Amino acid sequence: MSSQKKRSSRIEPFRHRVETDPNFFEKAWRKLEDAIGEIYNHNASGLSFEELYRTAYNMVLHKHGPKLYDKLTENMKGHLQEMRTSIEAAQGGLFLEELQRKWDDHNKALQMIRDILMYMDRTFIPTNKKTGVFDLGLELWRDTIVRSAKIHGRLLDTLLDLIHRERMGEVINRSLMRSTTKMLMDLGSSVYQDDFERPFLEVSASFYSGESQRFIECCACGEYLKKAQQRLDEEAERVSQYMDAKTDEKITAVVVKEMLANHMQRLILMDNSGLVNMLVEDRFEDLTRMYSLFQRVHDGHSTIKSVMTSHVKETGRNMVTDPERLKDPVDFVQKLLNEKDKYDSIVTTSFSNDKSFQNALNSSFEYFINLNNRCPEFISLYVDDKLRKGMKEANEEAVETVLDKVMMLFRYLQEKDLFEKYYKQHLAKRLLSGKAASDDSERSMLVKLKTECGYQFTSKLEGMFTDLKTSQDTTQGFYAASSDLGDAPTISVQILTTGSWPTQPCSPCSLPPEILGVSEMFRGYYLGTHNGRRLTWQTNMGTADIKAVFGNGSKHELNVSTYQMCVLMLFNLVDCLTYRDIEQTTAIPAVDLKRCLQSLALVKGKNVLRKEPMSRDISDNDNFYVNDKFTSKLFKVKIGTVATQKESEPEKMETRQRVEEDRKPQIEAAIVRIMKSRRVLDHNSIVTEVTKQLQPRFMPNPVVIKKRIESLIEREFLERDKNDRKLYLYLA
Amino acid sequence: MCTPAAGRGRVRLNVGGRVFETTAATLAGAGRDSMLGAMLDAAWNQGAEGEGEGVAEYFVDRDPECFAVLLDLLRTGGLHVPPQITEGALCREALYYGLLDRVRAARWGEFEGDRLRLAASVAGRAPGDGTAVRAAPDGGCCVAHGGVVRVYNWMLEERRPVYLDHAPVNDAAYLDEATLLVAARERPGRRDGGVAAFSALTGDLHHRFRIAHDRQIRSFTPGALAFDHRCKIFASCKGRFNEYGIGVWDYNTGDQADFFYEPPGCALGDADKLQWLDGTNTLMVTTMFPRTDNSFISLLDFRDKNVAWSWSDVGTPASLEDKHVLHAIAMEDGRSVCVINQYDDLGFLDLRNNAVGVRWRSRSKLTTRKKTHNEETCYPKLAAHDGQLFASTNDTISVFSGPDHILTSTLRGSDAGAICDFSIGGDRLFALHNEENVFDVWDTPPPPVI
Repeated sequence: MSSQKKRSSRIEPFRHRVETDPNFFEKAWRKLEDAIGEIYNHNASGLSFEELYRTAYNMVLHKHGPKLYDKLTENMKGHLQEMRTSIEAAQGGLFLEELQRKWDDHNKALQMIRDILMYMDRTFIPTNKKTGVFDLGLELWRDTIVRSAKIHGRLLDTLLDLIHRERMGEVINRSLMRSTTKMLMDLGSSVYQDDFERPFLEVSASFYSGESQRFIECCACGEYLKKAQQRLDEEAERVSQYMDAKTDEKITAVVVKEMLANHMQRLILMDNSGLVNMLVEDRFEDLTRMYSLFQRVHDGHSTIKSVMTSHVKETGRNMVTDPERLKDPVDFVQKLLNEKDKYDSIVTTSFSNDKSFQNALNSSFEYFINLNNRCPEFISLYVDDKLRKGMKEANEEAVETVLDKVMMLFRYLQEKDLFEKYYKQHLAKRLLSGKAASDDSERSMLVKLKTECGYQFTSKLEGMFTDLKTSQDTTQGFYAASSDLGDAPTISVQILTTGSWPTQPCSPCSLPPEILGVSEMFRGYYLGTHNGRRLTWQTNMGTADIKAVFGNGSKHELNVSTYQMCVLMLFNLVDCLTYRDIEQTTAIPAVDLKRCLQSLALVKGKNVLRKEPMSRDISDNDNFYVNDKFTSKLFKVKIGTVATQKESEPEKMETRQRVEEDRKPQIEAAIVRIMKSRRVLDHNSIVTEVTKQLQPRFMPNPVVIKKRIESLIEREFLERDKNDRKLYLYLA
Repeated sequence: MCTPAAGRGRVRLNVGGRVFETTAATLAGAGRDSMLGAMLDAAWNQGAEGEGEGVAEYFVDRDPECFAVLLDLLRTGGLHVPPQITEGALCREALYYGLLDRVRAARWGEFEGDRLRLAASVAGRAPGDGTAVRAAPDGGCCVAHGGVVRVYNWMLEERRPVYLDHAPVNDAAYLDEATLLVAARERPGRRDGGVAAFSALTGDLHHRFRIAHDRQIRSFTPGALAFDHRCKIFASCKGRFNEYGIGVWDYNTGDQADFFYEPPGCALGDADKLQWLDGTNTLMVTTMFPRTDNSFISLLDFRDKNVAWSWSDVGTPASLEDKHVLHAIAMEDGRSVCVINQYDDLGFLDLRNNAVGVRWRSRSKLTTRKKTHNEETCYPKLAAHDGQLFASTNDTISVFSGPDHILTSTLRGSDAGAICDFSIGGDRLFALHNEENVFDVWDTPPPPVI
C-alpha cells in the first residue's frame, strides 16, 4: 500500500530501448573468434588481452551469454577437429608424440581462452549451471579426440603395446607414457579408468596367467617365487613411473592373483623344492620370500602354516618314536632342542616373528613330545647331565641359556608331575653325591620351575636344599659338642626330611665298627638336640674316602660308596673272602652287593679287588682278594658304582605306578574343591573342570576321574542325585 | 628481456586516462584467476618481452575512481570508499576485475557477538508482516512474507524473488549460498504449496519435494524446515488426511527418503521449529504455544524410528505464573535446550536426562518491557552461535556469553517496532522488524589496521 504511494509520486522515465548496434554480437564474436584462431596458431603476441576481456564482458553484460557459450563450444570443437586430423595422420611411433604436442597446445590455448572469458566464467556460468570454460575444453578434447573412432582404439593399443614391450625387456620412452597417462587423468579419473586402466588390467591378467603357466612348468619353487617377486617390483616401479598411484594396488592384485594365488597349492607343495624342502634345508631366503609373497594371498599364510605344522609333527613323531634314539636320553633331548632352535630361527628370520607361526610351532611340538611318555624322564636326565658336569667347560651364562631352552620343552610336557618325580630323584642324587656343579645354576633352575608351575611344584625341591644346609650346621655342631672322638673317622651327615626326598626303603646294612661307633654318637647328639625325631641311616646313598696301602706299597685314597666301604673294610682283617662271607657280614642287599663288587673288582684300572674265577658275573662261591698289584697314576681314585643312569624297565613301571598313585589324591582334591563351590554338577562338567584345573601339572585320564568320583561316593563326600543319575551332589 | 633498470617489477596502468604506477607483486595479490592476474601473465605478454626496456604499460578502459579504491584494497587489504563512489559502481567494477570476494572480505570480519555494529537497515517493500528472515552462508539473506520470499545478495541488492505458487510461505532455509528451500502452505482445493528448492541466484524453481503415502502422491502443508550434513531435508508436515509427521527427503536424488508418522501424544506435524543435532544424530522438533495449547519438544532418532527424548509442559502446575515456553534452541554442545517464556525468562532443559522439568534462571529480566507501549509485541526468539546465546525480546537482541550465560551486549537498531525474527549466518546477524518489514544487518568490523 505504501509502496504504491511512492510509485505514484515518481516520474517514470521515457523508456526507449537502447539497442546499441544490431550487429554488436556478430562483430564482437568475430573479434573473439579471430583471437582464438591466433591463439591456436601460436600467434597470440599481437593480441590485446584487455580488449578481448572487455569485449567478452560486454557480450555477457548485454545478455549474449548463452549465444557466446554456444559459439565458443562450436568454435573449440572446430579447432579440435583440425587437430584430430593431424593426429590421425601421424605415423607409427610419432602418434603419441603428436597427440602429446597437440594436447599441450590445446592446454595453453584453453588457459588463454578462459582468461578472455573469465567474466562469463564468474557470472553467467554459475547462475546457469553450465560447465566452466576450462572443463568444457577438457570435455571437448575428450569427446573429439580421445574418444574419437580412429584415435580411441589406437591410443589404447599403442599404450598397451609399449607396456608389453617394456615387460619383455625393451626400453621405452617413459616420459611420453607418463605425459599420456597424465593427460587421461587430467580428463577425469573416469576417463583414465575406463579408457586405460581397466583394459590395462585385463591385458596384464592374461599376460601373467600365461607367464606363470610357463614358469611353473620349468622352475623350482624358490626360483619361481624370485621371478614373481621381481615382476611385482617391476609393476610397482612402472606405476610409480607413469601411472596413477591408485593403479598400484589394482595391478598388484592382478599379479598376485595370476602368479601366486592361482598356483599357491602347487607352489607350496612342490616336490623337492616346496616349503618342506626349504624347511629341511634351512633356506631362509626362500622362506622369507614365500612368507612375504603369500602374505598378499588370502589364506596364504594359513596354508604355509598348516604345511609346516604337519611337517614338524611328522618329523617330530619319527624322532621321538625312533627306538634307536631312545638309547641316549641326553642326545635325544639335545636333538629336540636343536629341532626347536632350527624352527625358532626360521620363524624369527623368515616369518618376521609372526605370533601365529610361533603358536603353530608350539602346538606341533607339544603334540609330538607327548607322544613319548618317557620324555619327562629324558628331559630331567638332560638337565641332570648339564648341571652335573656342564660347569667344567661352560660358564654359567651358557648353562643358563641351556636351561631356558629346556624350560621351553618342559612347557610342552603334559605330565609335568612325572617330570617332577624324576627331577627330584636326579636332584637328590646330585646333591647327595656332591656332584651338583653349581649351586647357583641349581637354584636358577628351581626359580624357573617355580615361575612356570608355582610354589607348590618346587616346595619339596627347595626343602632338599634347606636340608643340606642345616645338615652342614648340625655336623659342625656335633663336632663342636663332642671333643672326645679320638681318632675315629670323620663323618659328614646329611639329614633328609622324610617326604622331601625320594627315599627308597632301605634294609640297614651292618656298618664297620669304626663307623658304627661314631654314627651312634651322632645319633645320640642329634636326638638329644631335637625332640621327637627318628633317625634312620640310608646306607645306600652315602660315600666314603678311605686311605688304602696296597701290597706293592702304593698308597691311594679311594672314593667309594658306603656299601663299597663296608666291603673294603672287611679286608683289613683277612685277605680272602667269599661272596657268601661278604653278604653275611655286611647284610647288603644282594643286587646292590653284586653291583658294588663288580665295580670294585671288574672295572679296569680301578680293580682294587681281585676275583677268582675271573668271570664277568658274580656267583655265590667266588673268592675275593685284595689286588696287591693295583696301580694308578692318580693318588685319589674314584670308584664308581656300576649303575644305569636311565631307568630300567621295571623301575620305570614302578615310577609310573607311583606317579599314578600320587595323582589320585590330587584328582580327588580337585573334585572336592569343584563340588564344594558348585554343589551340584553333572559328570561331564566335572571331568572338564577337573581337567582344566590339573592341566598345568598333568592330563588326568577321564576313566581315572570316574574311578575317583566313585571312591568319593563310597566315602560319602558325594552322592548321586536320586532323580537324575548323571548329577552328583556335594555332601558337606 | 628487461634490463635491471629502476622499472623492474614495476607496472604502469592507464585506467580510463589516469595513470597508476604499481608493482607486479601488488597486482599478483589479486590472484591468477582475476582479470589483472591474467593480464600480467606471461602467456599474454609474449610479444612485449623483446622491446620492454622500461616499465610495462597496460591500458584498461574502466573508471579510474573505482580502480583507485580497488588498487588501494590490493595494496593495503583495507577498503576505503570515498563518498562519491556508489556501492553499486564499486561492486560492478570489482566484479569486472574479479575482485568481488576481496571486497566482501574487507567489508566485515569474523562474527563476534559483542562487537556487532549496525551495518545497514533495509526497508522492505512488500505489504503485510514478515514471517521469517534467514541468513545466507555468503552474507546475503532472504525475507519471507506472504507468498513471496525476497532474496538479497551480500551487497544487499535484491535479486529476483522466489514464489511457490504464491502460496503463503511458512519457512525458508539456505541449503547453500545458491540454493534456497521454501516451505509454503497448501490452500484449500488448490493442491499447491509444499517444499521446493530454488536457485537463490536466479529465483528459478529447481525441484519440488513430493510426499507419498501408500505410494500415492498427496499434497501437504509443511511447517518448519531443517537439513543435516548428509543432504537429508526434513519438514514438519500436515496432510489432508491426518497424515501428520516429519517428512524426509534426500537432496541429491530429490526423492522422499522417509516419513516419521506422529505417534500419539507427540505433536510433530504442527512443529514450528526443527533443528538437526549433529552430536546425537537426532532431529529436535519443537511445537510451541500458542500454535498448540501445550509446548512440546522431542528428539527423533531416524535410524530406529524412535523418540529419543521428549518434554512437554502438559500437567505443569498452573500456579507458576502460567509460564509458557515460546521458543527453544538446542545448545551447541548438544547437551541442553535453552527455552524462553513470555516474561523473557530463560530456562534450560537437560537433554541427557528424560522427564526433567525446565530449570528457570533466577530472575533474569532482560529488559524492562515497556508495558505502556501500545503497539503489537512479538514473541521472543532464541539463537545460539559460537558459544553465545542470542535472544530477541521486543525491539532488542540480547547477547549472553560464557558458560553461565551472562548478558554481555544488547543490540537495538531501527525504530521499526518489535523484532519478529532474526537469523545468524555468513558472519552476519539479520533482524526482521515487525513494522514495515525493515530488516537490520549487524556485522563485526574488520580487524583494525593497528
